[in-house]
Amino acid sequence: MTAVLDVQNIHKRFGSLEVLHGISLQADRGDVISLIGSSGSGKSTFLRCINLLEMPDQGKIHLAGEAIRLHTNRKGMRTAADPKQVQHLRSRVGMVFQQFNLWAHLSILENVMEAPVRVQGVDKTEAREIAMDYLNKVGIAHKSDAYPAFLSGGQQQRVAIARALAMRPDAILFDEPTSALDPELVGEVLAVMRKLAEEGMTMLVVTHEMGFARDVSNKVIFLHQGLIEEQGYPSEVFSKPKSERLKQFLSNTSIK
Amino acid sequence: MLEMLPQWLIDWLGPDGIASLAYITNGKHLSWYASVRYTLLAACFGAILAVVFGLLGAAAKLSKFAPLRWIGDIYTTMVRGVPDVLFLLFFPLAFEQGVEYLMAKLYCKPEEIAAATGWPLCQSAQWYLSTTEYMVLACFSLGIVYGAFAANVIYGALKAVPKGQLEAAHAFGFPSREVFWRFQVRQMWVYALPGLSNVWLLLLKATSLLSLLQITDIVAWADRLGAPNYSPLAGLVHADWRWKYYLVLFIFYILLTWFSEKFFAYLQARAGRGMARAN
Repeated sequence: MTAVLDVQNIHKRFGSLEVLHGISLQADRGDVISLIGSSGSGKSTFLRCINLLEMPDQGKIHLAGEAIRLHTNRKGMRTAADPKQVQHLRSRVGMVFQQFNLWAHLSILENVMEAPVRVQGVDKTEAREIAMDYLNKVGIAHKSDAYPAFLSGGQQQRVAIARALAMRPDAILFDEPTSALDPELVGEVLAVMRKLAEEGMTMLVVTHEMGFARDVSNKVIFLHQGLIEEQGYPSEVFSKPKSERLKQFLSNTSIK
Repeated sequence: MLEMLPQWLIDWLGPDGIASLAYITNGKHLSWYASVRYTLLAACFGAILAVVFGLLGAAAKLSKFAPLRWIGDIYTTMVRGVPDVLFLLFFPLAFEQGVEYLMAKLYCKPEEIAAATGWPLCQSAQWYLSTTEYMVLACFSLGIVYGAFAANVIYGALKAVPKGQLEAAHAFGFPSREVFWRFQVRQMWVYALPGLSNVWLLLLKATSLLSLLQITDIVAWADRLGAPNYSPLAGLVHADWRWKYYLVLFIFYILLTWFSEKFFAYLQARAGRGMARAN
């Protein structure tokens, strides 16, 4: 079986600072992979390299067996060889952001319909049905006519998840989806993510929620200074950490 | 015309009132009122062109391609620095003579050009501009001048759109061009409108310069009608009444401003729909 996502040897530097020193990852269908690590470890940058919001300086990305073609232009900058292919990749890999990033000028329903209609060319009536289905699923269908600014953070993030789902993606990238939320709103978002995991959605989750990483994911990757320090099943990683750094990291983190 | 008025109004006005009413509805005065169309047309088309030039200028300033950025910067810096009166004099005349120069190249015989002592170089290279053509040139002049101001306003507004939302659009597979037009430009208005309403009011006031281009606009008419008026039959009709006619223009421009404010408030509410708490 081909991996949904196969990411090989990603390097990324900002100026003279190299933040990723070669990270690889494979996600099979239905995998829920948690990326943990202290801030500055490069986990968000790595996630953003996967759908090329950050352009990796080195490395290969395969989506469902298809290689994303990158090349180096005359100025020595890495760019996509074919912007269309990148747009296609992005339309098949959903993304949920820390700051939700819902489009403020569109209603909740329009937020969820926008990309399926404009990018994937789904018929409007059909897109509306799909959107309402997913809004129902995340429990926010009753707010479909409201604008994002009038929703709580937790509600906005659930809409953002519905927006990603409406693309019927092969995988969804979550970039610290609960870090910007008030503590009492974290639970509702995690509950939705749990449900997705149970239904077999392929998910890559950068998170500080160790409880979620331990209970929901089937693989945990601990990043330290731009390298994978340790990875494995959550039961092993959390109860029998091998590296000193992971032990230290876990001792500083509370598991709810 | 006046006998069509209802009796109560005729009674109320009295003979002097009727005479005044007759005077301010005579042919020349009606032409004055009708000349408002030049002001409004120049303001509207000038504003539309200003927004178009503003968008293009702002897009150029934000371009990844350096020469386009330079063009954008030169446009906003140079044009904003030139007085609008000067530009309104310079641009139409330069354009007119440029066209005449091209016509001379095409239509004049070499011996005609050699013999020419003035401008145009030969009779067939003469371009007669009517009011319509002057109006088009005036609209473009206003559009270019105020487009430079609008470009700066729009440039700032485009940069004020939250980056995260544009990133989200990229992440969902929208091509860059659509991210710009569908998300960045669409959301920019709410930040740009206060600044654009300023530009609009400046443009509206600059329409009082139309008479510089031989367009008999409301200002030119006020000048003519207010000047001391002698009639061969009645002698002195009125002395120098220009202040009265200018006062009417004052009120006219203040009313336009008031109406504009209302209109922009409406636009602002529309553009900011849903963003009440985001800002």
